Amino acid sequence: MFDKKHIPHLLMVFPFLALFAVFFLYPIVSGFVYSFYDWNATTTSRFVGLANYQRIVHSRDFSKAMWNLGSYIIITVPVGIAVAFCLALLVDSFKGFWQNFFRSIFFMPVVLPMFLAATIWRWIYTPNIGLLNTTRGFFGLPSVQFLNDTSTMLYSLIAVDVWVSAGFNMVIILAGMKNIPRQYYEAARLDGASKLQEIFYITIPMLYPVLFFVTTYGVISALQVFDTPWLLTGSSFSQYGGRQNALLFPVMDMMGRGFGELKFGQAAAYGFILTTVIVSVTAVMFALRKKGHQP
Amino acid sequence: MTTDVGLIRTAAPGYALDLSIWTVLKWTVAICVAVVAVFPIIWMINVVFAEPGVPVSINPRLLPTSLSAGIAKIDTILSETSYLHAYYISITYSLLTIAGVLLIGSMAAFEFALFEFPGKRPMFVIVMLSLMVPTAVTLIPTYLLTANLGWLNTMQGLVVPGLASAFGLFMLIQFMRTIPREMIEAARLDGASHFQIYRHIALPMSKNALVTLAILIFMQTWGNFIWPLIVAPSPQMYTVGQVVGLFNAPFSHVTVDIVMAANLLAALPPLIFFLLFQRKIVEGIAMSGSKG
Repeated sequence: MFDKKHIPHLLMVFPFLALFAVFFLYPIVSGFVYSFYDWNATTTSRFVGLANYQRIVHSRDFSKAMWNLGSYIIITVPVGIAVAFCLALLVDSFKGFWQNFFRSIFFMPVVLPMFLAATIWRWIYTPNIGLLNTTRGFFGLPSVQFLNDTSTMLYSLIAVDVWVSAGFNMVIILAGMKNIPRQYYEAARLDGASKLQEIFYITIPMLYPVLFFVTTYGVISALQVFDTPWLLTGSSFSQYGGRQNALLFPVMDMMGRGFGELKFGQAAAYGFILTTVIVSVTAVMFALRKKGHQP
Repeated sequence: MTTDVGLIRTAAPGYALDLSIWTVLKWTVAICVAVVAVFPIIWMINVVFAEPGVPVSINPRLLPTSLSAGIAKIDTILSETSYLHAYYISITYSLLTIAGVLLIGSMAAFEFALFEFPGKRPMFVIVMLSLMVPTAVTLIPTYLLTANLGWLNTMQGLVVPGLASAFGLFMLIQFMRTIPREMIEAARLDGASHFQIYRHIALPMSKNALVTLAILIFMQTWGNFIWPLIVAPSPQMYTVGQVVGLFNAPFSHVTVDIVMAANLLAALPPLIFFLLFQRKIVEGIAMSGSKG
């Protein structure tokens, strides 16, 4: 039954599959097991059933983090994609050298590592002496504590986020725009369609799969947001989330429980709760897409 | 035919006017966005290359003013902190990851893209499903596994868990599918071994994809913050990202220009990379996006 001729094939895939099994499949299974144990670096582990899950779901940090996450995603994903879409339209309207030029310039923030973007912006947001506040002072406006005032913190984070992600999404949307057959626009122009009509009746419908991808990808990565809020707030395991936990997000909460409080069982359970959320959201998005496609 | 020409002629003046307003507006917006996109980066460079004690934020200017002051700041950082060592760690981490992912990924992609063997379908499906699994779920257990292996604060701890990149595999499979089967058959008839076909046909033919993937992995590992943070917490293994995090910590008493000098040093490799390979980077991302 087993043919010797398969051996070279299996040898070639073996390194990948072995590493994949050890560093991806095994952690998932072991994490699932850990999530039912009360376990930290010092004490011996003890089976606690669903207690870890209950403790997380009933904790105040969890509801705060989830609430923050919800408000963050509802704003950052649509705004980010709208900005990216407009940028793509803008870049697409240029030709030749200038198209490449603006595409590269708009893409620049993506190249910076997230941790750098966050640290630069943190200084731009600094009260009194930061760039934004000196500019405000120039116009006679009072200094704002962008990262320490619970009413502005979320928006400050979103601004950084859009600044970083717009170029990335723009490039993908732009590639999609290039795939739309030119004849459609020519036909529309012959029918006397305006620029705006072209966008709404040709570009957006034709870009549907691309926009769906960008949205799904945006939602999935936004659900796991960590680097930026971590670095915009305390950025250490003893201090994160900012004033009144206004910038506390689930992955930060998970990391805090794991590495700050050394409750690895809870952290593992947290990971699974988060995964359930992410998988359900993705499933809902795919279901909506299917529904949208039906005539 | 004649009516067409007439139409164009009558429409032309209005169209031209419309076009020029549109053009002016478009250029204005594009330049404004470009300023917003690069300003924080330029601001960072300005803060570094300015006389100490004269923060750019108070005295905004468009160009750096003092080259020597900037060099002095960079010198301070390099001599007073272990920044160079962090550079060394980050570069080694990136290069080893690139080499590993390309080698392991291309070997597996070669098989998945071009051959049939038992178990191929289920293996492929599982690996592709893993693209949907968020890092949140594997992060802590992978950390615990790495710790159990005794790999905390080691280079293998940083590199090895990230080598089986499903994304990299996916990208390479997409590319290698386009290799014509006839070439492989011809090579086989010429007596080439399986590994020789991989080495002398598949690899050279997917050079473009390999280069693009290498660049993307570089960007990703250089910018990876969360994994080094937990798996290499000792100062001897700090990556550039962690050192920048230290400079940025709320109670580290450093001035903005020193922090920005540290940031600039961390930003240089990806920025240089981008300037050199911008086409490849942008197209690589567009490709992975439109195919994913």
